[in-house]
Amino acid sequence: MGKDECKTMLDALNKVTACYRHLVIALGSTSDSQNLREELKKTRNKAQELAVANRTKLTALLKDKNISKDDRAEYERLWVLFTSSVELLEVDMKRSLEIGQDFPLKVPTRHLIQTGMTGSTTTVAARAMSVQNMKYEADANIDTVDLKELETEIAQVDQMMEEMEMKVQVAPWAVEAKQEAGAELKSTVSVGNSSVGVISICEEEPKETVEGETGLMKVFAGIIFTGVLLIAGILGYLVVNL
Amino acid sequence: MERMIISMQDPDMGIKLRNQRLLITVIPHAMTGLDIVEWLIKKCSISDEEALHVGQLFVKYGYIYPLKEPRNLILKADDSSYRFQTPYYWMSTRWPASELDYAIYLAKKNIRKQGELIEYEKECYNALHKRINHTWDFVVMQAREQLRASKQRRKGDRIVLECQEQAYWLVNRPPVSPEHYKLTTLTKNTINSYHNHFYVKYCEQYQPHDPIMQGCLPSNPWITDDIMFWNMNSETVALPTKLRVERWSFSFMELLNDQMGRKEFLTYLEKEFSAENLCFWQACEDVRHGETAKIPEKVDEVYKQFLAPGASRWVNIDSKTMEKTLEGLKRPHRFVLDDAQMHIYFLMKKDSYPRYLKSELYKNLLARAIVPQETKKSVFPFMRRQRHSSPSPALATQTAEDDGKAKYSNSNSGTASRILDSSVHISLYVEIQLIMHFKDTLYDVAIMLYEIRYITNFQLFNECVFFSVLSVTCLFHTLVLSLMYLFDIKFFLPAINVLLSQFIDIY
Repeated sequence: MGKDECKTMLDALNKVTACYRHLVIALGSTSDSQNLREELKKTRNKAQELAVANRTKLTALLKDKNISKDDRAEYERLWVLFTSSVELLEVDMKRSLEIGQDFPLKVPTRHLIQTGMTGSTTTVAARAMSVQNMKYEADANIDTVDLKELETEIAQVDQMMEEMEMKVQVAPWAVEAKQEAGAELKSTVSVGNSSVGVISICEEEPKETVEGETGLMKVFAGIIFTGVLLIAGILGYLVVNL
Repeated sequence: MERMIISMQDPDMGIKLRNQRLLITVIPHAMTGLDIVEWLIKKCSISDEEALHVGQLFVKYGYIYPLKEPRNLILKADDSSYRFQTPYYWMSTRWPASELDYAIYLAKKNIRKQGELIEYEKECYNALHKRINHTWDFVVMQAREQLRASKQRRKGDRIVLECQEQAYWLVNRPPVSPEHYKLTTLTKNTINSYHNHFYVKYCEQYQPHDPIMQGCLPSNPWITDDIMFWNMNSETVALPTKLRVERWSFSFMELLNDQMGRKEFLTYLEKEFSAENLCFWQACEDVRHGETAKIPEKVDEVYKQFLAPGASRWVNIDSKTMEKTLEGLKRPHRFVLDDAQMHIYFLMKKDSYPRYLKSELYKNLLARAIVPQETKKSVFPFMRRQRHSSPSPALATQTAEDDGKAKYSNSNSGTASRILDSSVHISLYVEIQLIMHFKDTLYDVAIMLYEIRYITNFQLFNECVFFSVLSVTCLFHTLVLSLMYLFDIKFFLPAINVLLSQFIDIY
């Protein structure tokens, strides 16, 4: 079913976003290294793939007009989750660009901040990529090359977000979250049906529905009118016959 | 600042780093406060105090965080340990700490501590939950995932991560001490409540006097066409209404704005031998609001009567204001007497006005003041309105027609037809009376419905309203017609004529 697929994909995106953030936090510190840069790149690419896949899926679902109100509300909630994920990802990407530029790896006098972290981030990256072991096959100057790629990728993500905002108009503030405060303490994620959303997808659709509705209402009003006339006639008749 | 931090990292010239030893784990890259200060002194050749101050700045802005007492963001030049903060968490204007991140952090902490958050953190948590409620699902999901990601690191790194994040949020969302928090909220609340209080008081005081909220006694002239309300509240009435007299006690300006109030106050002041104050005030008002051409002579009059030494009605103004006014009198303009007027106004307000409110004169007037009776409302709401509508042209034509018919029938038939004609006449008369009576009703109904129609913009409502009005009028006309039929009168046609004209008239 579309909803479950969406949810799993969103979960995956969420996981990758969290791992990416974790990796970016390690940038510039003593646990920084070539490997970290490569991990960042790989995680980033994976995140972008997932984002694009999610987006196409969700936009297709939201554009569908034949879904029930509950379904629509649910998709809107998922949409809000998706946009928050992508926003977080974008911010992290921008920050990694900045920090990466400040802390190049191949300079002779490199001073990485000694933060106390000495372990590697391989396991985190492996978790992000859903692999058992990470393979590192990048070049030596990955840090500088990667930064250029990173810039283009940031521009791409920006563009994607703008498109998303334009095409799908979901009011994020109108979505009610299903988790109440303190829900993270519970181990399972409960998925109920309690959110409300406001939607207006494209310009063409609302017009027809409104027109159809007024036509119906006119007929309805005409029926009321004839009914009242009938009652008036009957009353008159009764008065006469009394 | 950042460059300095980076230079601190220099393995040769940088700060000496030690290991922090927790129970079983050893975390490197810790330094003591003393080290920091010494390094700063050596590197920048500054004094001890300055170095300490610079070190404090590092800690305050989150580039270095203390390990033993994380909430105490100060630098102590002894062996308390500190550590560097990772660049991601450095203070930056480009990336301010966002609410979403804070929410995720609090959620993570909540999970880690199994719900045991500190007081102010709990409050922040609840406030955030309300504010960014729409992304709360995301917050929970991210918190869980981030924790799972950090579980992949070794224990030492995990501890460092936690400490780092905690330090970052301590810098960016400093904990407000409970008293301070209560105090700030209290002051904010008091200021708001002071203004609210003022508005509430004002509304409460003036509510019984508002004709819309409380209704008008005896009756609202705009509704009932009965001008008793205006007559009773005019300036020259013998006995004022109770509401009016009560209003004088609200403020001094209310008393002065009411002509009758002013007169009463004057009588009181005459008893107190301070009537010249009010007269002076009135004269000053006259100057302020009067014709420009007459200002010099008016001011002169005022001077002669009130301000000149030995004047007949000398007012008691303090010497400074008197000097200023006398200076200004050489070049009189509209506002030359303002200071003196203000002085006298406040004198009256503070002194005579409260005494007047407590005086026998006022109390007697209040007791004697009348409370007008509300005019009786009849049961049927529309009957109350005695609309003096102009005679309908249909009626004029109808009488003409009646005359015509009468003449015609008279000329053609005998007594039988005459009886018939008279019965027609009577029936028509009855019908017309009924219609005239109900016409007002229908008119009211139609107007009301049209008003509603213009206020609401509902398409559907428009249609319904239109049809319902039509049907209501039809109903009434049908009833009337059937009544006529009941009286067994067969001459409908002119009646229908009249009806149709009425119908058209309404629309």
